[in-house]
Amino acid sequence: MGLDPADETEAAIARGDPRARLADLRVRLAPPDRGREASPVLPTGVPDLDAHLPGGGLVLGPPHEIAPAEPADAIAALGFALALCARHLARESGEALIAAGPGQPLPYGHGLAGLGLDPARLLLLEAGSDAEVFRALEAALHARALTALIGLLRDGLPLKPGRRLQLAAEGPAPPLLLILRPAPAGLPNGAATRWRIAAAPAARDRFGTLDRPRWRARLERCRNGRGGDWLLEWDHAAHRLHLPEPLACDAASAGRSRA
Amino acid sequence: MAAEGSGGLRLVALDPEAGALGLRIGEPLGRVRARIGVPLQVYPADPAADRDSLLRLCRWASGYAPLVAPFGPGEAADGLYIDVAGASHLRGGETNLVADLAARLARSNIPARIALADTPGAAFALARHGGGDRIVVPPGGAAEALRGLPVESLRLDPGTVAGLKRLGLRRIGALDALPRGPLARRFGEALLLRLDQALARRPEPLAPLTEAADHAAARGFLDPIGRQSDIVRTARDLMAELAPRLERDGLGACALRLALHRVDGAVRALDLGLSRPERCPERVAALVSLRLDRLGSALDAGFGFETVALAVTVTGPMPARQTDLGAAAAGDGVGFLADALAQRLGRALLRLEPRASHLPERGDRGVLWVAGAGHGPSTDRGVGRPRARLPLPAPAAGLAAAYIGAGRAASGSVAGPLSRAGEGQGEGRELSERGANGTRGDGVLDPDASRPSPQPSPARERGPGALLHQRRRSTVMGEPSGIEGEEKARTSASPWTDHLPPRPLVIFPRGEAACDVLSTVPEGPPRRFRWRARIHRVAHAEGPERIAAEWWREPGADRDYYRIECEAGHRLWLYRDGPHAPDRPAAWYVHGLFA
Repeated sequence: MGLDPADETEAAIARGDPRARLADLRVRLAPPDRGREASPVLPTGVPDLDAHLPGGGLVLGPPHEIAPAEPADAIAALGFALALCARHLARESGEALIAAGPGQPLPYGHGLAGLGLDPARLLLLEAGSDAEVFRALEAALHARALTALIGLLRDGLPLKPGRRLQLAAEGPAPPLLLILRPAPAGLPNGAATRWRIAAAPAARDRFGTLDRPRWRARLERCRNGRGGDWLLEWDHAAHRLHLPEPLACDAASAGRSRA
Repeated sequence: MAAEGSGGLRLVALDPEAGALGLRIGEPLGRVRARIGVPLQVYPADPAADRDSLLRLCRWASGYAPLVAPFGPGEAADGLYIDVAGASHLRGGETNLVADLAARLARSNIPARIALADTPGAAFALARHGGGDRIVVPPGGAAEALRGLPVESLRLDPGTVAGLKRLGLRRIGALDALPRGPLARRFGEALLLRLDQALARRPEPLAPLTEAADHAAARGFLDPIGRQSDIVRTARDLMAELAPRLERDGLGACALRLALHRVDGAVRALDLGLSRPERCPERVAALVSLRLDRLGSALDAGFGFETVALAVTVTGPMPARQTDLGAAAAGDGVGFLADALAQRLGRALLRLEPRASHLPERGDRGVLWVAGAGHGPSTDRGVGRPRARLPLPAPAAGLAAAYIGAGRAASGSVAGPLSRAGEGQGEGRELSERGANGTRGDGVLDPDASRPSPQPSPARERGPGALLHQRRRSTVMGEPSGIEGEEKARTSASPWTDHLPPRPLVIFPRGEAACDVLSTVPEGPPRRFRWRARIHRVAHAEGPERIAAEWWREPGADRDYYRIECEAGHRLWLYRDGPHAPDRPAAWYVHGLFA
């Protein structure tokens, strides 16, 4: 991607060039959503990012695939997923389930608080294989008892389980479903979005200490949407993602922010 | 012929041919070989397999009466008691019952001696030394029947038996005729206890294999069933049969046992644990179905199951609730999901719980998720067993003791006709597993299993340590004893402390060594280190946060923790293990990763 799509969009909308008109026409010509009402979404809180996602946020129900940019970024990807989960839990009541495949790192209770996630609203399941993770997620989707589901996979999400999860998620009040997979295991599947997360230097507070985590998030694939690349900052107190603001004393983000 | 060592190899069991050769149990094998010119076939004894076979036999025998107890080690562990009090009329009287039992055992090639008497002691004595294969003592006739039996039939220890014989007391009748005082003084209370138990003067409680459930239902089939859907439907029907009874008592089932009796006598017992009291047949059926899914072909239906029995093994109070027309209660769905996962995958949902420890790796643990338990114990959690114990067997009750295996060469044949040996072991493990946390309320996972206490080196075990923040956090000092009280005071809010400095999102069970560390000595953060085959250059460091070892658990060095941000943007939690010494450079460990 040569040009940053984020910049492109803003410029395009500002100028009102054919692209924007085309998008406008598409909206008008689109079938009335096949008679279905719009599926619920989780807005990320970043208008720029939400504009790239269909419906203005992450669709609840179908799986969202999150992968680290490289193996060392696995924890950053987990942090991003848990941040999204925390945001969803802050908006909805209910509990979240983390189903971890073998060897996947489980979060540390005291560290969850730092992401703004209440450990008491988190259920853990240590599965013996990826297949068990899929079964657990499917059962949880059918039960419709939980608000958010996160699956930590060892081998990635193949097409068949992805499709099964998608089918299980159909219906009213679906939960947020996030699938974390390792970096090299990119398989074709029915994920609604596919993210690549890389660690980025954290925001500093006024005293120059590490404050808010930041991730470089790349939206690689998005059904009915557009990809993009953002540097995101997580505010654990307000449960919201935002683009880093250039602060006077913010040495880390100076000159690095691209959006 | 079986033999097994205790002070050298000794014979522990003989088949009839060996007995005819004049061999005796307990003889050293070497001496036997020297004494007898005949080549011997010797097999090692396998007490565990014997025990499994016996337990399987007990389960089978529970078809005669609910209370079945295997012999304990003091009774040579080679037989079983069946408390047929109140159950013998189902087989047309005691004589018919014994005949039926003997016939069925004979059909399974299990040599057995059966005695039915007033007390377990009397039945035991008659089965072992009564001189017949089937003995039925009429009620009240125990004293008569026992009079002529030798004293070793009283389940005494060998020393006592030898002492009695030295005094010329060989028969129970002779023993009973003596004054009790001198006997007690000389041989102890145990002798009189056994005598009284045999003669129905004192009650003898049995330790039953499974306690009879108050709520149980069974269904027999003329045509054995084998299909999963049939089993599930039967389970649902049985639960529907039990539900009104449970409802009348205000109870719900917390644990269920589905016993599948196969045509050839083997019994498969499936234990279902429920996260909250339940009496809905559909849900129970769904759980049974999930469990059978998991078992797959491991549930060896053979030629089919002729009896399906469902028993509520643990009950919990389930007061009547007003149900709304809409969806079920919020926690309900999670509870069912937890049960479904437990049945389908055999894995329980966990919940993180803080622990009062300053050592990071001991700061939390996974606890079994319990329905309705949010931050603290809730009312739903009281999963008790509100049922009366079974009444002790009355002295006059009819009791049968079957003495299995006249020649103990039958060890293999006991196991043979019932089912494979491995299956029994699997069942036993399942039973003990479910039994251990059948209520699932108090089952706390061993924290060290999922998150073993970290040991950078085996010699240094860390315990919960006093937290001494060197920098900016002196107010926290000296607080370790107050933590628990403080936590208790605000369990209503969140049990997680919020005054901790930032903690990593993922913590390693034990620190992973960082090599080639370049740091300022004696104290200071690292500048560069190698970890997981990569060089990390430190762009930013914060710390130290000193966490002392738990001297009351195990001595160890203080750790100085630093939050590190690498140039690549990864944030790590490193610590230096102990102070720097001139002769020993400090060791560094990576203990966690921040998001």
